[in-house]
Amino acid sequence: MKKSLGIICLFVAICLITAIYGDGFLTGFNLTNLTQRTALFSILALGAGVVIVAGGIDLSIGSVVCLAGIMTPWLLVEHGWSAWAVIPLVLAMSATIGLFHGVLITRLRLQPFLVTLCGLLLYRGIARWMTGDQSQGFQGEFEDVRSIALARFDVPFLGDYRLPATVIPLVILVVLIGLFFSRTVWGRWLLATGRNENAARYSGVPTAWLTTGAYVVCSLLAGFGGMLFIFDIGSAQPSDFGNFYELYAIAAAVLGGCSLRGGDANVLGIVVGAATLQVLRTAIILVGLGSQLEFAVIGGVLLIGIAADELVRRYSARRAEQTSRMQH
Amino acid sequence: MNTTRALLSGLTLAIAALSIAGTASQGDLVAAQKARIAEFAKHPKARSHVAFVSNGVADFWTIAKAGAMAAGRELGCDVTVEFPGGGLSDQKRMLEDLIIRGVDGVSVSPIDPTNQIEVLQLVAEKSLLITNDSDAPTAPRLCYIGMDNYIAGRMCGELARAGCKGGEVAIFIGRLEQDNAKRRRQGFIDGLLGRSSDPTRYDEPSKVISESGYTIVGTWTDSFDRAKAKANIEDVMTKHPKLALVTGLFEYNSTLAVEVFKQSGKAGKILIAGFDEGADVIAGIRDGIVLGTVVQDPYGYGYESVKMLNAFTKGDFSMVPANGMLPISARVIKKDNVDAFWADLKAKLKAGKEAASKA
Amino acid sequence: MAELPVREGSVLARTVLRVTGIGRRYAGIPALTGVTMDVRAGEVLAVVGENGAGKSTLLKILSGVIAPSDGVIEQVDANGTSVPLQMENVREAARAGIALVHQELNLAENLDVAGSIFLGREPARFGFLKRATMMREAREWLHRVGLNVDPSTQCESLSIAQRQLVEIAKALSTQAKILILDEPTSSLSAREAARLLAIVKVLRASGVAIVFVSHHLDEVLEIADRVLVLRDGQQTGILNRDACDRATIERLMVGREIAAPAARVLPVDAQVRLQVQSLQTVHHRRHRISFEVRAGEIVGLAGLVGAGRTEVLEAIAGVTSSAGHASLDGIALTGNASQRVCEGVALVPEDRARNGLFLQDSVSMNLSLAWIGQHRQRGLVNRQGERAIVNHMISRMRVQPPAPARRVQTLSGGNQQKSVIGRCLAVNPKLLLLDEPTRGVDVGARAEIHAEVRRLADTGSAVLFASSELEEVLMLADRILVMHEGRILGEFAARDATEVAIMHLATGGTA
Repeated sequence: MKKSLGIICLFVAICLITAIYGDGFLTGFNLTNLTQRTALFSILALGAGVVIVAGGIDLSIGSVVCLAGIMTPWLLVEHGWSAWAVIPLVLAMSATIGLFHGVLITRLRLQPFLVTLCGLLLYRGIARWMTGDQSQGFQGEFEDVRSIALARFDVPFLGDYRLPATVIPLVILVVLIGLFFSRTVWGRWLLATGRNENAARYSGVPTAWLTTGAYVVCSLLAGFGGMLFIFDIGSAQPSDFGNFYELYAIAAAVLGGCSLRGGDANVLGIVVGAATLQVLRTAIILVGLGSQLEFAVIGGVLLIGIAADELVRRYSARRAEQTSRMQH
Repeated sequence: MNTTRALLSGLTLAIAALSIAGTASQGDLVAAQKARIAEFAKHPKARSHVAFVSNGVADFWTIAKAGAMAAGRELGCDVTVEFPGGGLSDQKRMLEDLIIRGVDGVSVSPIDPTNQIEVLQLVAEKSLLITNDSDAPTAPRLCYIGMDNYIAGRMCGELARAGCKGGEVAIFIGRLEQDNAKRRRQGFIDGLLGRSSDPTRYDEPSKVISESGYTIVGTWTDSFDRAKAKANIEDVMTKHPKLALVTGLFEYNSTLAVEVFKQSGKAGKILIAGFDEGADVIAGIRDGIVLGTVVQDPYGYGYESVKMLNAFTKGDFSMVPANGMLPISARVIKKDNVDAFWADLKAKLKAGKEAASKA
Repeated sequence: MAELPVREGSVLARTVLRVTGIGRRYAGIPALTGVTMDVRAGEVLAVVGENGAGKSTLLKILSGVIAPSDGVIEQVDANGTSVPLQMENVREAARAGIALVHQELNLAENLDVAGSIFLGREPARFGFLKRATMMREAREWLHRVGLNVDPSTQCESLSIAQRQLVEIAKALSTQAKILILDEPTSSLSAREAARLLAIVKVLRASGVAIVFVSHHLDEVLEIADRVLVLRDGQQTGILNRDACDRATIERLMVGREIAAPAARVLPVDAQVRLQVQSLQTVHHRRHRISFEVRAGEIVGLAGLVGAGRTEVLEAIAGVTSSAGHASLDGIALTGNASQRVCEGVALVPEDRARNGLFLQDSVSMNLSLAWIGQHRQRGLVNRQGERAIVNHMISRMRVQPPAPARRVQTLSGGNQQKSVIGRCLAVNPKLLLLDEPTRGVDVGARAEIHAEVRRLADTGSAVLFASSELEEVLMLADRILVMHEGRILGEFAARDATEVAIMHLATGGTA
């Protein structure tokens, strides 16, 4: 909680500003939409977070989103496969992509940046080639399958706020990943690997396996997220679906307190980070800033937030040091 | 070996492009192309090779491809169809490659005509250039085949004006950089507000326009990110809870509007004036939640492009009208003609996909 | 202080640099005191001493990397007038004609030989390299050091010996009159080393003053005109060539007698736990090593830096690859490091900041990392047990301050080392490997660490450790293996070993 304080302050501040200067921020409709988008991007960001904790980076998230997202309607609609076959298949494919990254990084000792950068090009290329660069959609069918992402639940006493179904997998993932880092041996060892891979290896931690596992989780979540995204929007085009989503995912994880140096995990922070980004994007419309300013506003606010967070952290670290020195 | 050749050709092209930019004027290039066509009149080409280049990837272009291929079969000429998936730079690369392959003529839908004038001039110098779908008036193109986006936009605006008597209106469009998008949007605004026809008029996208009972609250773009496009519609609904009508001026904008309204229970409460023939939009017309949609005739773009370029290689310039624009008119699809239109469309799409699989 | 009278060297050689009473203190603790010497043109002055005797401090002062806390350094010209030098930076030293050739070579591998020699001093006109001039001059300097390679050769394609010569050429090309060679032969084969010594002799004949630092007493005896011996930061003697012999130098290096630690009594029939046969490590492929460690036994690997001790320990721990055979309690150790930890092997690495510690994490995390793996319950951390073992290890190792949440970064070196050793002891290893167990650790903490290691051995575990400090080897080990250049040259029972005898073997002498 203490670690997330900075990002929570930023999040609350942006919400307050949007609520005051924008229209309709606190309506149930808007909060429902924001919950949905936050859940979708958080799932990607959790995957990015796990890899960042392990001291790596995954730039291929957006392309895996695209490949998994495009493959789902492609197999369901164009090829008429059953959803019971398609969903496990797409998830297995995503996990295999992660395994591929992990093996290249840990066994061949290639740099994660390069491996996943090539993945970024590779998977989008495959998606475009596979579909003949045609946009893929559900064409008004598969309402039942799409309800995985589109179902909404009424919540008592919350007016017209309706809880999106995507929150269910998100909560499960947050709990699982949170417990993984705090309670399991492998979670602790993954943290240690991210902090100092050499020292972890010398202490007998199976660093190669854990790192590979982190990439598997990241790609699996990207593939799962890609599926939920396509269920949500109904159709997508291979050439631009999921472009830059890796940056949103990485930004959310880093905002949430996962240092790019590795070894810091903060699962709740990641979700708040993802929510912050989504509120910012919405704020631009609700406050009426004009979409040309979108990137400038997001970039500027994040920069200010990160700088403030770092300064506060340094100040408190210095104070802690001084007090501990005085005690001695 | 291939790389070397590509490098050399690229170098030649770059030098050629420089020299063109430096010396040749627009009129010279048009005159030079016409001279080459006159030359073809003396020595007609036995079997010509022409190219059709889209501005992106969509079902729309698959139908255009069917038209282009059909014309190729009928007229006995080779047709290359290219869909640039990666925007401006991708299209530029494709045009350069086509020149290297020595095609006799190119019909292109330029993504950003003012900023790709060099490559268009290059095409005009080495081959014969016409434009389709979106015009490049400043480029040395011999003809423009397509609908006037301003007029089509007006049709959409008038459709909205007829079905919705005033209130708040929001416009959603993929992006505004390209000429056809700008004209289409302006046509919609002028048609909706019942203004006189003036394609040179331009309203700032960020300005709220209140006229004759309508308030256009704004125009939102998404750079083709559909998740963003969906979020745009949702967020504008939040900001403007009294919306009476939205229009999606690109195909997926209309489709997503139908999606969002269905999901949020607003279907039929907020009206939609559509553009293009997305499956959900067609279904929406049948269900009465979409007023109607303006459809272009991409089949005609493909067909007429190939026909005209092939005629050029036989020395025939007669297809080009005096004003240099060959109109392919847009149509308004409403509840009464939606079924007939859909059947015809399916047939053409099938033909285009077969052509694609053969290639 | 000096056990032998300091005799004046050859009066024919002209003094170029006079050092009087220099010393250096770090945070008030002297690392070097009262070194007085003359550096003379046309002479080789060798500097010898154990690790930590102050050699590198002396070199750093002479080359201007650090300033001396006390004493005077004077430059002496041909007329005998001396000018005091303000040796505060490297440029000052270079201006005085002093050039240092480092032990770790500093050549930029992506440059060619000529580029390396003239790096930062390239002959140029209007900002353009005068390539031809550079090549011609480079060729002359290479000729002087007897290196027959084209100046346009890329440095990365040179052997280590050739790079060493390029470094020397580079130093000479700065018009250096005083050349300091820091362990120049440590990475060379015997033949390459002999060639280098020959070139040093040629340079000496041409009037260059050479300060030659080496661990290899054979080399020193071959080449030195005078030998400066350091011990514990103090000068124990300057010997002239005629007074030099191996025994004298070794005695001056090792000095005082160390009180022998209370000998541990080992059962004669203790079973063999660690058995190493024909082990071949990455850096010393030519030699195969065999030895064994019995239950309850503490074996020390003595030797100089680069003798191959770290490689042996890391090979047994499985963190680096190796050929040969090692078994623990009769079971072959074949897996990777994490499997060997499960089989009861624990390693305390030499470089604790790089390979041992998670500096930004808590003492608790550092102590419990291996234990939580050994005591996991269906993959989950036994958190109660973790708290208990952390508190237990903190009190057992006497970690100060005894705060589990404290970041390891903020602890002193000794307490950091206790955290690493505590992590290994927490899992009760069958075989504990320690590489430099008390480097950078103060005397009190060292005794505590030694006591804990002995306690582990008393429970029947096997302990194998490596140390560059003879004193530590003699204090801790029951049995001592002396390594030199990848081989075990000899073995002593602790009660029979003397520092002199170990040093004799460690510097390549014969048993």
